[in-house]
Amino acid sequence: MEDMLFYDRLQFAFTITFHYIFPQLTMGLSLLIVFLKGKYLLSKIEKYNNAAKFLMKIFAVNFTMGVVTGIPMEFQFGTNWAKFSELTGSIIGQTLAMEGMFSFFLESSFLALFIFGEKLMGQKLHFLTGFLVFLGSWASGWFILATNAWMQHPVGYEILENGKFVLNNFGDLFTNPWLLPAFLHNQIASVVTSSFVVASIGAFYVLRNKQVEYGKLFLKTGVIFGLVSSILVAFPTGDWNAKNVAEHQPAAFAAMEGIFETEEAGSEIVLIGQPNMVDKKLDNKIAVPNILSFLTHQDWNKQIPGMDQFKEEELPSNIPALYYSYHIMVGLGTIFIGVMALALFFLWRKKLYTIKPLLWTIMFLVPFPYIANLTGWYTAELGRQPYLVYGLLKTSDGISPTVSSGNTLFTLLGFVALYMLLGLLFLVLVGKTINQGPTPQTH
Amino acid sequence: MTGTLISLISILIGIIAANTFGYFNKKYSFGLTGNSLIGVFGSVLLIKSFGRLGFDPWSIMQNGTFHIGLFLINCIVSILGGILGLFITKHIENKINKKAAN
Repeated sequence: MEDMLFYDRLQFAFTITFHYIFPQLTMGLSLLIVFLKGKYLLSKIEKYNNAAKFLMKIFAVNFTMGVVTGIPMEFQFGTNWAKFSELTGSIIGQTLAMEGMFSFFLESSFLALFIFGEKLMGQKLHFLTGFLVFLGSWASGWFILATNAWMQHPVGYEILENGKFVLNNFGDLFTNPWLLPAFLHNQIASVVTSSFVVASIGAFYVLRNKQVEYGKLFLKTGVIFGLVSSILVAFPTGDWNAKNVAEHQPAAFAAMEGIFETEEAGSEIVLIGQPNMVDKKLDNKIAVPNILSFLTHQDWNKQIPGMDQFKEEELPSNIPALYYSYHIMVGLGTIFIGVMALALFFLWRKKLYTIKPLLWTIMFLVPFPYIANLTGWYTAELGRQPYLVYGLLKTSDGISPTVSSGNTLFTLLGFVALYMLLGLLFLVLVGKTINQGPTPQTH
Repeated sequence: MTGTLISLISILIGIIAANTFGYFNKKYSFGLTGNSLIGVFGSVLLIKSFGRLGFDPWSIMQNGTFHIGLFLINCIVSILGGILGLFITKHIENKINKKAAN
């Protein structure tokens, strides 16, 4: 049973990590596309239109990869997590079905119209199709986050005698206090990723002295959106989320902040330290006193319960992984603000395009927003453990009892092989698109 | 679980079929990127629409036994999906261009 749980979780972790590489770019990129297309409508300068159409090509490749890697996610609910689906299906099935029916179809239909229909529709309608793609991709995030928010903080449900969860208030699914802060934080984090991707494409063009006009446009757009989103992802949305965790999942909050012992007065904030699970303390820590209490409760001396206040079974099952995920996310977020602020300063001084070390830095920073987004999700998911539905349904009670660990391991190896092929195809397609550049081809 | 893997294999076959057909029939080709995207959606559409006639991934793996015959039908439908996707997209593109020209 232990083995089955481990392999089921490993497979889900692998497939969802690979899957989330793609939607996090499409959601943020759609906003940048709408911005560039809108700028073209206002200014009638052709380069904005070409830039929007170029980014939509990258969007299309990403979107398709998201669809392909999303299919196993859908299947896994039935195959690996049959008990969870059986017990909670009448609730999570609502939001997941809405994601497919409303957002996916909205996104895919108007994506095709955006790509093929410019000449037919004219510029205003073309802008509208771009906006509807943006709406579809963000609505998709909304419905997925509504599902996750219910698992993190279940509302509007009742449990029948047979153990099944049913909805008693549909509206509660969308007014869940967990949902809005999580949605805003997630969406703005996806804007951070896409800003870095766009800025890095710009840096690549400028450094190679190729498509320089577009390179400068991408750098400027990426840096401005990158700085604004990097700040917004920390405050207010990240702050709001952390307060939510402190209120609704205090054990997870203590674990992610590394508070082993409750302090008498205010809690310190840990900048660096390694969780020592044997002695129940942080080794080699660097911390600033009372800051955590102030950030969480706006009171320097407010007590925050440490892990010693909770029973062993209430604590997250992998505290070091949770602690490191959270700190990697926060650390990277801080670096993003620093780099983008520096880049914006040099953009303002009209020197950004000539400072090669900064351009190289921007170009090579591109994997890190992905890592920050993924570790953010690990924080949310590891913090919820050992529950699937917080406080109500244990993860070990949600797996399929008849699927053997050998079966799951075999398919996991298959996924790894197929995803490597898909990953290679993705890199080739995106590389080809970037190499071609936004300048329209003449036939 | 193996059913999920089969669905991914079908998609890859769709991508390969669309690219191969596009390579030999330039008239219907949309380039590597276009063909690959069409291959994905073409194969998914056909397998999702007609798979329940008895050759979807679940039927192939029914009772834990792998049915090679059904798997081959699944692969052929994926190939058809990729190719049909190219035809349909080209048809739509031509119609749109004609309307835009008028």
